[in-house]
Amino acid sequence: MAAKILPVVKLATKVTIAGGALYVAYGSGLLGSSEQGSVALGKAKAAIPPAVQEWMKYFGLEAQLPTIPTVEFSPVQAWNSGVRKTISTLSEAPTNAVGYTNQGFQYMKDLTK
Amino acid sequence: MSEKELGKKWDRCLADGAIKLGTGLGLGIVFSVLFFKRHTWPISFGSGTGLGMAYANCQNDLRSFYMLHSSEKEQ
Repeated sequence: MAAKILPVVKLATKVTIAGGALYVAYGSGLLGSSEQGSVALGKAKAAIPPAVQEWMKYFGLEAQLPTIPTVEFSPVQAWNSGVRKTISTLSEAPTNAVGYTNQGFQYMKDLTK
Repeated sequence: MSEKELGKKWDRCLADGAIKLGTGLGLGIVFSVLFFKRHTWPISFGSGTGLGMAYANCQNDLRSFYMLHSSEKEQ
């Protein structure tokens, strides 16, 4: 009797867990539009420090987590300045090449004097 | 569409892509462990579905500027 019910119970448990995961994902807007997704991301970011604090207390590690230093790095700014530098180098390359060649010739002339 | 608006749309697109990839991966792992005997394909399927949903959202978002609303069409 128990041997017959057990597979059904196992399957029911698995379906419940999978269904619950799907429901949570759908309910928190993770599968919706991009605005819903960014709202969910904001909520998650705001919820992390208190959750970490709770877990630290639970494990008895009352040590203060060092505050994450705010890094003043903007990928957009870095990328833009990189592009500008590359393009300006490329555009000045012929002039610089001529200049360096002339310098080289001058140096060789000075050597042979 | 102004530059600022376009930039915000792209930011939303990337964030949405990351979220949906993570969600798809997570759901794929859950399904793989529970139903498919820890095979890899549900994980790949889930991640791919997530990325696809994000791509569709992004496409819709970027095109929405050029779409006329049905109420404006009647005028």
